[in-house]
Amino acid sequence: MFLCGTVQRQYEGYWKGKRGDIMSDVAVRHRTINPQYKKKSQAKEVWRRMKKNKIAMVGLVIFAIIVLCTIFADVIVPYSVALEQNMDTRYLPPSAEHWFGCDNYGRDIFARVIHGTRNSLVMGIGAVAVGVSLGALLGSLTGYFGGVVDTVIMRILDVMNTIPFMLLALSIAAALGPSLVNVLIALMISMVPYYTRVIRSSILNVVGQDFIEAGRACGTSNFFIILRHVLPNAIGPVIVQATMSVGSMILNASAMSFLGMGIQPPAPEWGSMLNEAKDYMLYYPHMVIFPGLAIVLTALSVNLMGDGLRDALDPRLKD
Amino acid sequence: MAIPDKNEPGSSLLQIQDLNVIYKTDEATVYAVNGISFELGRKETIGLVGETGAGKTTTALAIMRLLPEETGFIKGGEIRFQGEDLVKKSQPDMREIRGAKISMIFQDPMTSLNPIMPVGDQILESLEIHNSENLSKEDLNKRVDELLSLVGILPQRKKDFPHQFSGGMKQRIVIAIALACRPELLIADEPTTALDVTIQAQVLELMRELKEKLGTSMIMITHDLGVVAETCDKVAIMYAGRIVEAGSAEDVFEGEKHHPYTVGLFGSIPNLEEETDRLHPIDGLMPDPTDLPPGCPFHPRCKQCMDICREKMPEFYTSGEHRIACHLYTKGD
Amino acid sequence: MEPLIRTVNLKKYFDVSGGKLHAVDDVNITIPKGKTLGVVGESGCGKSTLGRTVLRLIEPTSGEVYFEGENITKASRGELKELRKKMQIIFQDPFSSLNPRMSVFDLIAEPLVTHHIYKHRADLTDRILELMEEVGLAERYVNSYPHEMDGGRRQRVGVARALALGPEFIVCDEPVSALDVSIQAQILNLLMDLQDNLGLTYMFITHDLSVVKHISDEIAVMYLGQCVEHCPTKELFANPMHPYTKALLSAIPVPKLRKNFTRKIIRGEVSTPIDPKPGCRFASRCDYCQAGCTGSDIPLKEYSPGHYVACPHCVELMEKKE
Repeated sequence: MFLCGTVQRQYEGYWKGKRGDIMSDVAVRHRTINPQYKKKSQAKEVWRRMKKNKIAMVGLVIFAIIVLCTIFADVIVPYSVALEQNMDTRYLPPSAEHWFGCDNYGRDIFARVIHGTRNSLVMGIGAVAVGVSLGALLGSLTGYFGGVVDTVIMRILDVMNTIPFMLLALSIAAALGPSLVNVLIALMISMVPYYTRVIRSSILNVVGQDFIEAGRACGTSNFFIILRHVLPNAIGPVIVQATMSVGSMILNASAMSFLGMGIQPPAPEWGSMLNEAKDYMLYYPHMVIFPGLAIVLTALSVNLMGDGLRDALDPRLKD
Repeated sequence: MAIPDKNEPGSSLLQIQDLNVIYKTDEATVYAVNGISFELGRKETIGLVGETGAGKTTTALAIMRLLPEETGFIKGGEIRFQGEDLVKKSQPDMREIRGAKISMIFQDPMTSLNPIMPVGDQILESLEIHNSENLSKEDLNKRVDELLSLVGILPQRKKDFPHQFSGGMKQRIVIAIALACRPELLIADEPTTALDVTIQAQVLELMRELKEKLGTSMIMITHDLGVVAETCDKVAIMYAGRIVEAGSAEDVFEGEKHHPYTVGLFGSIPNLEEETDRLHPIDGLMPDPTDLPPGCPFHPRCKQCMDICREKMPEFYTSGEHRIACHLYTKGD
Repeated sequence: MEPLIRTVNLKKYFDVSGGKLHAVDDVNITIPKGKTLGVVGESGCGKSTLGRTVLRLIEPTSGEVYFEGENITKASRGELKELRKKMQIIFQDPFSSLNPRMSVFDLIAEPLVTHHIYKHRADLTDRILELMEEVGLAERYVNSYPHEMDGGRRQRVGVARALALGPEFIVCDEPVSALDVSIQAQILNLLMDLQDNLGLTYMFITHDLSVVKHISDEIAVMYLGQCVEHCPTKELFANPMHPYTKALLSAIPVPKLRKNFTRKIIRGEVSTPIDPKPGCRFASRCDYCQAGCTGSDIPLKEYSPGHYVACPHCVELMEKKE
């Protein structure tokens, strides 16, 4: 049997007489796995399982439409329409001309919803994605190593936890100065304590299992153990949790805008649209319904996708 | 195959005839128990032996009528207990029987006790539920003390919580609860598997003593032939939801003819008294219970498999009480 | 000849609320190359901790472990990684010891990839297929996931992983106790075949005396963190000397009808391993406990060649019986 370099020496005794006779006349001949048992591409497998989940596919389609809206916003309706104020069209209910009606400045709500997609999506999904990633990093460190690392990190996060979420985000944003990026950073940081906690508890369940020790026993480094054994098994419940907070993050971002941080009027953003509309809710419900619907649809589609993705990523759940 | 009822009515406590149980899920139907028949007399102990998936626990749950409601179904057969067919009983009727006339001990004593209730109260609870003689609270409490000392636990400890007892002690308490209402039939599902050997010996000894003292009939479910040899009068070896060999303990442990599966089981256990270089395991694995092979379910693993085995389920070869479902012995007929 | 594995006064205490849990207390064992040492004891006697401490998966509190004559207790991280190639472990529970998200290929590849054994993927594939053949796993399972296999096959994957790096020493931590009897026998035979073919050295940890008798050359009986009797297998079964060993032997249910068999049942249960008092730890359950048994620790003493017992009265007891 041909084995390369050092390994060949290592196993020389091991295979002596076992295969030498068969392989002696062939210099290099590798065994191949029968194509029938060939590994299917991981991504294809996940996609195949995902496709079977009808509800997740509905979520995916809605989400795709929302993303398309972001990309082709200017094609659908020019940005100027979203900003154009017109006293004559104030509070107009939905009509053929203004599909979603008009707001208190007479701006076209449809245009504002379409153009608000980008800001809201970045706020909601961006904050959650980065917050979860940071949480996963800290959660793995605390959950896997325990001891002093755990105590120090968790106590610091506990202190952060005592500050109400909004107050924490506001103070960070205030310190950094108002801008879209800074609000994003503020929201991410404020989410970290929560996600660290969620991920840590999920990881503690996994760390007790034998396959972690099995990994250590064959010399795998801590980094790879966390990456290959701990996180993939711990992240499932977190994905669902995370997708559920996308909606509330959009609202948090708008609350920040409302308080003068982040996106400033008249730039369209769903959360601030809701905020502006809330005084007119009773008389002109269309002003809240459409931006509200946009937030709900986004949150729902991400949530449905997340749910489906968690299942699709788990090879144990058969087809 | 049905066994003719030779015994006098009254002496037989439980007769199971041609019992079939399936589990139905969206994806597949699991054929868990496929036509088993056996009979248990008063004061007798029968051992149901088999590996994972043989249908032992399903049989017990069917007798208790505790099969999961949505998925588990009894598809035919009779379970006659004191002459009445339990299959036809309604769940409220069964509730009267469970705990009072038939009770069950589960494998894991850690999970079958309520962790936030003193053990004395847990015994008292089962006494109160089946208090047909309308005994007073004091009498019931006295009975709790009796039960605890019966299983070798000081009655003073009845105010203690389960976590204050060790595993073996907890199993004793579980036994006390099971025996609280002086059941006619006790089903013990792997009662000592979770325990250490020295503690297992203590618990087995206790069960043997109690059986003699109280005259309870028992179904002992286990995978350990050693436990069976020590506690049972009768043995039924199960494989893929069927009884492949049954008879008195002497028949199964010392008889001359055996089902190849029984031979394989004995060959798989390292023998303490003999020197062997290698064990003689059964090749292959248990068949998939959703897709059982035609003919004898053991034929794919059987070293003595014949053509007929692949086609036809063997009838029982009987010699006295000893039954073997194998074509090796019936082909002459 | 220097034994492959030797421990010197190995101790592992865990900090628990209420004191120190003496999981392994002053254990001296030796395992010659190519032999199997069976470590027997009931749950909580420290046998699994002993196995893991020998491999340095758990850091010992004090004492030394020698592997091929080298003290590995102080080995650095890099040295330890090299040692992992020579020392491996097979776990009890094939359900929790395999990462459910990895295929059989990835599971067996992990040790090989970690140690960068192969440069080319094709060589890795070769080796994995060979290992699968070696442990009796059909090629069609190569990309299966653990949940798609039964306990016996999963345990074969566990064995293949342990063999991947060509180790000399394997700790088998109850490798068959989670399996059905017929499967148990298949795995035991596999382990014995591998030992014959590859000259492996095993430390076989189990609670099952009949299994340990079948596979071991020597046996160490443990009770509450201490080794109470250590001798060749045949000697232990023919001539058990420590009262605990005798009780243990008597407690095994034998699949044979034994008329008029009276069992020696030991009373009570294992006492706490947290800060145990000096003296024989079995004393509270022992029928032959005498004044000298408590107060000071009882060391292992060689009563006949190779037969070590930690009981000062075991000789009298033998005589009394006869």
